[in-house]
Amino acid sequence: MHNPEMIQFIEEAFEENYELLRLEGGHSLSPHIKNQALDQVKNYWKKLRHLAENVSDTEVKLTLPQQKTPAGRIYTIQGVVDVVKEDEHINLYDIKTHDVEYVKVNKHEFEGQLNIYGHVWQSIRGEHLDNASIIATGETNELRKAKKRYSSTGDENYLLEALDKWEPEVYIEVSPERVQEYLDSFGEVVDMIEEHRYEPPTVEKLKREVTENKSFVDHVCSNCDIRFSCDAFKEYALSSSKGHSDFLKFFNDFGTENELADIIEANLEEEVE
Amino acid sequence: MNCTIEKLFRVHRFTPNERQREAIESLNDPLFLIAGPGSGKTRVLLWRTVNAIVFHNIDPERIFLSTFTEKAAKQLKDGLQSILGTVTNETGVPYDLSKMYVGTVHSLCQRLIADRRVTIERSRVKPPILLDEIDQYFHVNSGTFWKMCEEILHIEGEEFREHIRLYFGNRSSSKHETTLALISLFNRLSEENIPLKELRTYAEDQENDTFLKVVRLYEWYRNDLESKNLVDFALLQKKALDTLESNNSSSDLFSYVVIDEFQDTNRIQEQVFFKLASEHKNICVVGDDDQALYRFRGATVENFVEFPTRCNNYLSQYPKAIHLNINYRSRKHIVETYTSFIENESWVKEDGEGHYRLKDKDIKPHNQDHELSVFTTTPGLSEDVVKETASFVRRLLDEKKADDPNQIAFLFPSLKNNKHVMRMKQALEAEGVGVYAPRAGKFLEVDEAKAIFGAMIRIFGKPERQEYGGEYKAFHDWLDTCQEHIRGITKNDERLEAFINEKNSELKRCQQDYIRLLKTVTDEGWSINDNYNPGKHKRTLVKTPLLSQQTVKGLGTQRLDKFIEQRMKTGNPFTIKYILNRATSVDWNLLDIFYRLTGFPYFSHMFKLAQNGEDEGPICNLSMISEYLSRYMEQTQSVISGARLIERRLGNDFFGRYIYGLYRIGESEFENEETPFPKGRVPFLTIHQSKGLEFPYVVLGAAGKKNFGVPVVEEIVRPIIDRESEPLSKIPRFDTMRLFYVALSRAEKGLVIINLRGRGQVVDPAFKKLFEENRFPLIGDVDVTNLPKATIKEDDIPKVYSYTSDYLLYLKCPRNYMAFKKYGFVPSRTQTMLFGTLIHQTIEDLHNHLISLRGDGDA
Repeated sequence: MHNPEMIQFIEEAFEENYELLRLEGGHSLSPHIKNQALDQVKNYWKKLRHLAENVSDTEVKLTLPQQKTPAGRIYTIQGVVDVVKEDEHINLYDIKTHDVEYVKVNKHEFEGQLNIYGHVWQSIRGEHLDNASIIATGETNELRKAKKRYSSTGDENYLLEALDKWEPEVYIEVSPERVQEYLDSFGEVVDMIEEHRYEPPTVEKLKREVTENKSFVDHVCSNCDIRFSCDAFKEYALSSSKGHSDFLKFFNDFGTENELADIIEANLEEEVE
Repeated sequence: MNCTIEKLFRVHRFTPNERQREAIESLNDPLFLIAGPGSGKTRVLLWRTVNAIVFHNIDPERIFLSTFTEKAAKQLKDGLQSILGTVTNETGVPYDLSKMYVGTVHSLCQRLIADRRVTIERSRVKPPILLDEIDQYFHVNSGTFWKMCEEILHIEGEEFREHIRLYFGNRSSSKHETTLALISLFNRLSEENIPLKELRTYAEDQENDTFLKVVRLYEWYRNDLESKNLVDFALLQKKALDTLESNNSSSDLFSYVVIDEFQDTNRIQEQVFFKLASEHKNICVVGDDDQALYRFRGATVENFVEFPTRCNNYLSQYPKAIHLNINYRSRKHIVETYTSFIENESWVKEDGEGHYRLKDKDIKPHNQDHELSVFTTTPGLSEDVVKETASFVRRLLDEKKADDPNQIAFLFPSLKNNKHVMRMKQALEAEGVGVYAPRAGKFLEVDEAKAIFGAMIRIFGKPERQEYGGEYKAFHDWLDTCQEHIRGITKNDERLEAFINEKNSELKRCQQDYIRLLKTVTDEGWSINDNYNPGKHKRTLVKTPLLSQQTVKGLGTQRLDKFIEQRMKTGNPFTIKYILNRATSVDWNLLDIFYRLTGFPYFSHMFKLAQNGEDEGPICNLSMISEYLSRYMEQTQSVISGARLIERRLGNDFFGRYIYGLYRIGESEFENEETPFPKGRVPFLTIHQSKGLEFPYVVLGAAGKKNFGVPVVEEIVRPIIDRESEPLSKIPRFDTMRLFYVALSRAEKGLVIINLRGRGQVVDPAFKKLFEENRFPLIGDVDVTNLPKATIKEDDIPKVYSYTSDYLLYLKCPRNYMAFKKYGFVPSRTQTMLFGTLIHQTIEDLHNHLISLRGDGDA
């Protein structure tokens, strides 16, 4: 029903990309994670076929040169976006592998992005623009549950129902009057980067929830290799009920059992010398 | 459209001089751009490209622009993005630079090989895997290679290495020295593109058995790489040339071919470039023969000096020559100094007709101030001179003539094993000025490396010391100092001590369990290569006596059972060996351990110094260590498990082979990787490293160098190649002059030439003359308050920042941005990154596929 040739095309392109990336970087994914990635692409196609079929330009480079930071540095902003044209309706959209809940909670991040891109598109390039949105292809809890049920029962309806309910598109309001604000903030960051200001965020920020049940720590720190030398993280970890006083436990955090199994399955070769 | 180049010049605040403008506008036919130091050639290249793309409608995909470093390519790309962005916003015409060929020769060759426009029937070609210099070293200096050597040449390894020692006039016949000698000759032979058959015939006529042996080995090396789809840097170029030559349409790929730093290109590169330009003849070469530095890598400055003749030979057309002669970098006195320096040498050809150097450069300073800006020290012993210099640097900093010590660079002809360099470093440190000198001494000898590797020796073990001397002994002495170093640290850090001990005992446990499991396998009469069948094997394995809880658990997880079941179903079962290794693997890899070690106070302090920009030296060193570790993980495999632990295999291989190799190749002076100039430190660089760079203040640390005579490889290769070259006897002299010319022309505001006397110190005759003719003021007498202040250049090409990979990343966590984006630490786990890229690329392919299915209907 979803066009078997297209599914086949996706599978082949995916496999080819994976092989090239693996050769280039020398890293692999476990079969389980690799499948999750493939599912994201397939779900995107199944759910957003109308969008995908109307993409008029993919990976359009938008450039905003001659920007000036508060400290007077000249710089250029660059971004990449997809353009969709549907019955004279023009939509800019950016695909994220986050799940839709994350995008909703952290909408402000993407508002800045699409407003700046929209500004280049509309005011500078003089093109028409109707809407901007983020497509969040990440697997939601509902999709995950449906997949599990499907694999244990073999009943495809679970999947179809979940896909039907899935709303991966998040609209972003484009308001030209706010663009300057976003640009100012960008300029401040450029100054901080150039002036070597690299202090970590505060402990309060680490504790803050970024999605319903995930804090900044879960989202950012737990994937960060240099957390062990980070004062903010240390303070967080040693003050929370789990880790206090047991420093070996602090250093022995190598991920959950599932994450560890993924790493082994991706990297342990059959022939060990 | 109302966009003119004049308008763009104004918007981007560039006022080209007459010759720059002429170069920007000369797009067609061969162009020979002679660009003196600081003459703004990067801008010229940038604007010339803009001119072609915007005002002559050249598709960026049809431009080939080769630079010397990736950094230079990035700068050009950033500049193009900015200017073309302005044009797009003005005219609505978008430009796609992603398909433009900008990069180093090597990266461009890699792209050429896989470019569907030239591959047979436009098929997708599996690009060869590139061995970089370090990979090539380990490829040659390996058990397999030495074994092949004995098999092919029917000679004992030791005897062969002795022959090589004599042939190359080396000091030792170690595997290491032999490797370096072979590699240098192999690379040169490849770069000269001498056909194997011709080479063999030549070698057979030579009556030199050693040379013939080397040639036979080289043949084997070439065929072996070919069969494995591997290339080294030199053969990558050869492969690109072959690809081009096998396709008739390849000469039409590019409308414009532009080569920067042409004086440092080699023979095969020249062939590639002329091949690419053969149809349209729009080849532009840029360079300066006085700044040629890379002969030891096969570069031939004659490519540049003789360009007009060569151009006529290849393209039947002489190029137009333009001299970019106005120097915008340095003060007048500095320009006059280096100009008169290079003219101290006679460059007249042996037959008296013409010169080995392009004459009449007429370099003029843009700056016209008459203040003196070249200084020297009181002639004296190194011990005294270093103090005088350090105190001058102190005064420069105290008077705020430089905002950061990294604006004052020290350049030396050579940094290794040089007592004077070490004294200079100590003298600066005594004045409270930090020094960044990763190449003075071996990199592995910096404290950060000693501490990390010291801890790793404790965790993984190291090879036992044998009764050898020389570098082997030095390496084992280094291993000892690493252990001492970490002892000093753990003495005051009980937790670090406990952590190290814990990791070490984890490995012991895995190793013991692996041995126990092996015993069970043997006792049962199975083989480790048998297919694993949980029903048959699991219970027995689990019951192995004395097995640790962790391993028992590892044998029996639900997830594993499921995984095995799946694999059996698809007819692809695991071996017992795999299961044994999986059960006895630890949860971490080398990089995981590295990052945990950096969590202890000795190291975490280094991160703090970098966080506020106080001192970047240590963090740069840590980042380099992370890169070395990841390289090892790529060479071997990243999972640490039982089979790799028995008989101390991991420790022996890691330290005895890999780190030992690094320790020895660390001697190379001529890295051209992008050197960081950490804030808070005075950089010590070799003159080679300073190529293309400029600093407000420069101290030339020694005004002379030892003469090592004619390079052996040059002597060997010269009779085989047939073309006009600089006479062998002149080479050492010419190269010395060029080296110092580069050094002298790096300075903007002030230049100090150190004047050394005493035993073992060489002052080059050209400098003696310079000192006599110019009574340079002594730094002790200079009133520092009158010197100009270092300024940040206004006209720097603006940097490009990305919303997602700069702005958002920084906002998320500035510290994480610092480590992974700015200092290039290699992350230990890359699953998330690979995951995202894979999805994005596939969706992009899907979109492109859909667009092409639709035809060009509404696009």
